[in-house]
Amino acid sequence: MKDLTKTIALIAITFSLCLTTVIAQENYEPNDPNVRVEYKQYESFDLGNLEIEGRIIAPGDLSVQQRDRKRFNRNLFERFDFDPEIKEDIFHLR
Amino acid sequence: MRMTCQRPILFIFVLFNILILSPQVNAFDIERLEKIEKKLEGSKRDYYMAKELMRQDAYFAAIPYVAEFILSRSAWPNDFEKVLESLVLKTGPHSLAGLPRESLSSKESPSLSFILGHDLFNKKQYKASHEILSMIPEGHRFKSEALFIQGSSLNIIEEYEPAKVKYKACIELTSSLASKAKHNKLERYYQILNEQCQIHIARIMYKKKNFKQALKQYEKIEKNSYLWPYLLLEKAWAHYYLEEPNRTLGLLVTYRSPLLSSYFLPESEVLIALAYHKLCLWDDSLEVIDQYYNVYKERSDELKKIIIPHKSSDTYFLKMMLAPIKKIEGYNPFIRNLLTQIRKRVKYSVDLVNFKKSREELNKWLSIKKHTNLTKKMTRQVNHQVGWRTKQLNHYVKKQIFTFINEIHRFSYEMFNIRLEALSSKRNEVYKSKLSDGSTKRTRGSVKNITRSSDEHFYTFTGEFWADELGDYAFGLKSQCQRKETNAFSYQGGNK
Repeated sequence: MKDLTKTIALIAITFSLCLTTVIAQENYEPNDPNVRVEYKQYESFDLGNLEIEGRIIAPGDLSVQQRDRKRFNRNLFERFDFDPEIKEDIFHLR
Repeated sequence: MRMTCQRPILFIFVLFNILILSPQVNAFDIERLEKIEKKLEGSKRDYYMAKELMRQDAYFAAIPYVAEFILSRSAWPNDFEKVLESLVLKTGPHSLAGLPRESLSSKESPSLSFILGHDLFNKKQYKASHEILSMIPEGHRFKSEALFIQGSSLNIIEEYEPAKVKYKACIELTSSLASKAKHNKLERYYQILNEQCQIHIARIMYKKKNFKQALKQYEKIEKNSYLWPYLLLEKAWAHYYLEEPNRTLGLLVTYRSPLLSSYFLPESEVLIALAYHKLCLWDDSLEVIDQYYNVYKERSDELKKIIIPHKSSDTYFLKMMLAPIKKIEGYNPFIRNLLTQIRKRVKYSVDLVNFKKSREELNKWLSIKKHTNLTKKMTRQVNHQVGWRTKQLNHYVKKQIFTFINEIHRFSYEMFNIRLEALSSKRNEVYKSKLSDGSTKRTRGSVKNITRSSDEHFYTFTGEFWADELGDYAFGLKSQCQRKETNAFSYQGGNK
């Protein structure tokens, strides 16, 4: 019985806390003069300590590099030997 | 009324001609043959019957007896080799080619070795063919042919130096046999064999890429040779690989001569297109290709019209070859030319002679009035020979025609490739918008563009073909290739 009372009390406390937070958020306004936001006012870079590798190029004309069109090898007809004719000569013999 | 009166007179006249005036057919000595057939048995009977039939000039009737004798005996009398030799000479080597290989190879007979060696070559068993033909001794009737086949076997299996030795021996032997020949036909036969051995040596050089040497070797064949027109194409290829496309074109234009109108080789058209392509003359190349499609398509269609309805006939093609000129005149001129080309083949001529002889012998057997079992048997045997030879010759002609059609189609594919390449190159030229010399028009024909040797002189061609100039033409076209050409050898036909 005691345990049940404890559990109910715990739930009630949790519920009341959540309710308070929601109400607090609803009341917040960004332009609220009471809220003060501070930014970093000054930052310096020491360029002398930075090392950057590269070349400075002058801007020139726009150019496209020309390349030959791809030539596909279509295997044009070749005559490596006359073996078929040799075979035919023997076939035609007598 | 007049017609009815004339008919009996005509019939009597024809009968009189047949019975009285027609030349007497040499009858066979049937009695003598019957005696041998009855008295003897087995292989002895086969041997004596074969000899007696051959003595009576009945070679085709003797074939089955000779075949039976070979199959039944492992050894034979010394004079049987002579019987075999004359049988092969009179009836052709194919008469006994159907015998099993074991029975042909087990006998130490030069004639049978020749038959087997030839057969093995045709079955692509080159080493076996070479070995079996080595058994033919010097001085034998078939030695020259054996040397030719041996050289070719070695050539195909890429043993070039031994092949050359065989070819040279063939050249020496055939020259001597041609000079000793008693008949013109025999002399011509040995002359052709001699030239073929010479050409095969040139082909070895070509295969080894020694094109200049090959050309020199080809030059040994005289212009009046029956084989010379076919060599134009081979020479043109050699020039093509020597980077002399103008020479290639010049040689191939010879086929346009009226004297060579019966020689048309689809491959020569492909080579013309390739030569123009090598000169970067894309338009010329494309024109040749278009012409090829227009001309050869028509030819192929004409041939198909003949072949397809008769493709399974055993006699049609032979009848077409033997038909009188009047009947042939109805065909497309190109078919007539194709038939002329086939007629000029040595094999066709030799087989036709044997076929005619077999028919004459059959007529002799049929003319015998007294029918006995022996005469019936002989008639049956010779009739079988005639039928077999008819089919063989018919098949040969049909095969030649089919080969031609297949070539047209095969080279049509090659032409398509050249067309694509030419169109692609032409497009590149348009993109670059100028020719190598900066001009947009090209000049054509100048002697400057031909490589010439010290003993050559050039005259302008005016469209007339003179017989003594055939095969000596050269074009003088300037190459329009934009890239710098190198001297490096390349098999590829395009510009480099």
